[in-house]
Amino acid sequence: MKADTVKAEEATARTRAASVSRQRVVAGLALIVLAVAAIEFPLVFSSPVVTNYAIYALIFVAAVSAWNLFSGFSGYISLGHAVFFGSGAYTVGIAARDWHINGVAVFALLPLAAAVGAVIAVPFGLVALRVRRHTFIVITIAVFFIFQLMAYNFSFTGGSVGVSAPFLPWSPTSFNDHFYYITLACAAGTIVIAFLIRRARFGLQLRAIRDDEDRARGLGVHAMRVKLSAFVLSGTITALVGGVWFLYLTQVQPPSGFDPLFDLSLVLMAFLGGLGTIAGPVLGALIIEPGQLYLTIKYTNGYLSEILLGVLFLVIVLFVPRGLVPTAGEWIRRLRTRGRPASGTVSPATSAPPAPPEASEAPAREARTT
Amino acid sequence: MAREIYQAIVDGVLVGGVYALMAVGLTLIFGVLDIINIAQGVLVILGAYLSYVLSTRLHIDLFVGLLVTVPAMFVIGVIIQWAFIRRLRGRERTSMTLLVTYAVALIIEGILYEIFGPNPKQLNASYVQSSVRIFGFYLSDIYLYGFALAVLMVVAIYLLLYRTTFGRSVRATMQDETAARLVGIDVNRVAALTFGVGVAVTAAGGMMFGATNSFNPNSGYDLISRLLAIVILGGLGSIGGALAASVFMLTVESLVDIWSPEWAIVVFFAALVIVLVIRPTGFFGRQPVRAQ
Amino acid sequence: MRPHLPWFSKNGLALSAAAVLSAGLVAACSSSSSSSTAATSASTSASSSPSTKAPIVIGASLSLTGDFSADGQAFERGYQLWASDVNAHGGLLGRQVTLKILNDNSSPTQVQTNYETLFAQDKVDLAFGPFSSLLTTPSASVAARYGFALVEGAGGAPSVFESPANMSDHNVFDVSLPIEDEMLPFVSWIASMPASQRPKTAAYPMADDPFADPPVQLAQQQLQALGVKTVYSKIFPAEVASYKPAADQVAATGAQVVVLGSTDVPTVAAFIQAFQQQHYNPKMFICAAGPDQGAAFTSAVGKPNATGMMVPNGWYPGYANAASQAMVQAYVTKYGGSPSDVNADVAEGYSVGQVMAQAVTATGGTDNAKIISYLHSGVTLSSVQGPVKFDSLGKNSAAAAFTFQWQDNGTTFKQVLPVSAAGSVAIINPKPNWTS
Repeated sequence: MKADTVKAEEATARTRAASVSRQRVVAGLALIVLAVAAIEFPLVFSSPVVTNYAIYALIFVAAVSAWNLFSGFSGYISLGHAVFFGSGAYTVGIAARDWHINGVAVFALLPLAAAVGAVIAVPFGLVALRVRRHTFIVITIAVFFIFQLMAYNFSFTGGSVGVSAPFLPWSPTSFNDHFYYITLACAAGTIVIAFLIRRARFGLQLRAIRDDEDRARGLGVHAMRVKLSAFVLSGTITALVGGVWFLYLTQVQPPSGFDPLFDLSLVLMAFLGGLGTIAGPVLGALIIEPGQLYLTIKYTNGYLSEILLGVLFLVIVLFVPRGLVPTAGEWIRRLRTRGRPASGTVSPATSAPPAPPEASEAPAREARTT
Repeated sequence: MAREIYQAIVDGVLVGGVYALMAVGLTLIFGVLDIINIAQGVLVILGAYLSYVLSTRLHIDLFVGLLVTVPAMFVIGVIIQWAFIRRLRGRERTSMTLLVTYAVALIIEGILYEIFGPNPKQLNASYVQSSVRIFGFYLSDIYLYGFALAVLMVVAIYLLLYRTTFGRSVRATMQDETAARLVGIDVNRVAALTFGVGVAVTAAGGMMFGATNSFNPNSGYDLISRLLAIVILGGLGSIGGALAASVFMLTVESLVDIWSPEWAIVVFFAALVIVLVIRPTGFFGRQPVRAQ
Repeated sequence: MRPHLPWFSKNGLALSAAAVLSAGLVAACSSSSSSSTAATSASTSASSSPSTKAPIVIGASLSLTGDFSADGQAFERGYQLWASDVNAHGGLLGRQVTLKILNDNSSPTQVQTNYETLFAQDKVDLAFGPFSSLLTTPSASVAARYGFALVEGAGGAPSVFESPANMSDHNVFDVSLPIEDEMLPFVSWIASMPASQRPKTAAYPMADDPFADPPVQLAQQQLQALGVKTVYSKIFPAEVASYKPAADQVAATGAQVVVLGSTDVPTVAAFIQAFQQQHYNPKMFICAAGPDQGAAFTSAVGKPNATGMMVPNGWYPGYANAASQAMVQAYVTKYGGSPSDVNADVAEGYSVGQVMAQAVTATGGTDNAKIISYLHSGVTLSSVQGPVKFDSLGKNSAAAAFTFQWQDNGTTFKQVLPVSAAGSVAIINPKPNWTS
């Protein structure tokens, strides 16, 4: 009797392992196809108009993934990431201006932008991460405004005029193609980093903090250290992306570098895709950024586009509250397990690994519902 | 120099009163519903436009017009809460409410642009430009009325919260929602009505803002960041805190303005950060039952 | 046991789905937007004969929504008025002009996307500039890459001319008055007074904006040299909680002259309101912008209070120039109101069209390289704002600076400075006190 049960369990486990590795092969293949497609993209769609959309989309893929790396994983919603974005942009601009750097050499300034992002993130994080929830959100907003205003007030930032990027004398197509590959690299790199963090203990610690920080602390998680590390990493990447954006747009000014609506866009994109997932922010950015640019061109008259945008957000939040990726995952799983009995024959000791947190959104604790 | 300082303090207090009117509603909503209402800035502007229509089309005095705009905004507030906010729950509630209130703000702003266009408007009345001379200073009439209105509103809400049954349910919900439910309080109703009250007070704030500033549909964005700062500083859910924080912040800004207007706003936000570091719950905020 | 990451496969699949979806979306975006045109065709009614030649398509990005929408919309009207006038007279080189105007929502990323779309997708022949110095630099970069001339009327800040794109390709042309010189007639007028009659004190409040500050700062330097004492000079942030504290400080100084670095009507209105409350009446009050916005200004501050307010400009509705008068009439016919209501932005937009038209006619086509050299050749062109001649940076060195003043109880907007210029009338000095 016992032997039979053990054999049955082993068989189930083998089937499950086989199906999981099959999934992994399929997914791996899909990723390879994706990578090839991404690299071939500008060659297929060579019009600068198309690559322009792609570049802005990729800039936001990187920015949202970086934001999600911190806010999505830890649950601390930051509305101050524009601080890093703008600081990265200004760093590249000011360095290029003061050190008289022209031509392709400006790209060498990007690591400097990232470093500045890291340097700003440390005190910013130390101050802000001591408080929670709404207070945290408002502190990030306050620091954001402080930075925007400093950009206006200091003369080394160019005041209200801002800073211009050195002129790169490339043809429209090659200019866009260069930036396409740079932004693609940034986006891919950020996704990989997010993926690695998720797998690591670090990611687990972040998620523990998101679920219940006090309990996590009680279990030995150094909350401040973990939060701060994620925050600094997130800020560093965002600053780098800001530098790239600056070189592409060729200009940064206080209201564009430190745009109050930038962070809300990040929240929306991450949310649309699925907060805390890897693919979610990517999907959200790829849909919303080009979509927004395109809709403004298409519905160019009147304020209709603004109203439509608001309605769209409402629809997204009210009808896809968990984000597209988890919701799609749910559907796929439902489709695949349709008709199959629940796995009641398996004993708890060898039961399937628990469904990942982002798929089962059951809150770990009582949540406010008004 | 001393005269400038007194003038700055007086200015700060008076302008602070106007901001208090706008912030009181926000802190009430915070306290009971536990959400950041980004639409509050645009709702202030909506209130200003409502007063504008009443004043220019029907020639109703600005203060008298409040008898119409305040109930109207109450209804609007209840509708918004009932239609969009009530259903938000779960772990992502914070980001959801941010996005929903932002969406509502966009929609209202777009509608206002369609109806009124981008050209700035301002509310006018005979007393908007006049002033009274006290102790050698000119105190503008409209700001004095506004300050009086702010105090009146604060007292009214205080009475509502502490002297009525409804107010008791509101305070209970603020303190501990689960317990309130257990005692039989209809928490959904409390939430809807509180949101309505929060938005209704905004009507008065909108009228005052419109009388003292030019506004167009875009003006809501600068407002909301300051209102958020004031509300957090005063302590989430504390009405008196909102009044105190408004006056404090605007006075500090006004004083720094003497030396450098550019840095005055930075000081505003920097002061917020400093206070929060020392005392994370703000001036009069309560320690939450369970942090996060 | 480590969870075997089903979420990895889910994420992987999702990533590929995402990429495919978005590639499709982007491709769909770009192919369909070429078929749907947001074009505002400016060919008019029955009077224009159908042209057998291909139309000249001119692209522009304007701030029809967002922060600059009031000015953006006025500019649009200027461009459209010009196009319909040109078409009514047979078009350019016998070809009808079609305008393709896209909205940039006052956003730099949208401006860049718009111009990329206009150049690479819609294949416009020529380009007009956007509104505001803040948006002109990214537009100039895109235009430079494509080899287009960017003729504009609202980006006059030094930063525009000194932008790397312009320094390298010299493709920016601003038809309007360079802003630093705006206050010169005002300063000259004060200099022309005997020393005893000059004002003793002046205040210079300025909004933090590249358009508003340079002229006021230059005026401050020059007036100080003339013996006018500076009692207040501060820059306040463009978005401020309340202008009251700054305005009250100015009022407390009791300065005889106020030179306000404003960018819009609300700033001026707020200062006037605070001055009224403080019972402070400056003898002279000149603003960088605001009083030039016609009806939008007088309705905000009230006509009696507008009396005596001055503003520098390159144009006003009463300008005694045949083309200008015709344009004003056409505007009033089309949009209603009275001549004084016409916003200076309309004239700026119209002038852009005129300058481009002259360049096209002179070079016999729409070759941008030829147009750029033609415009830099030192030739003097005409516009409703007066003569236009570009220096090597693209600034209009022939633009005359005039100063205007509201008179007759806020019902007429008259040219008052330079005193000796044709068309100047007597200036009201001192400015009458505020009325409630």
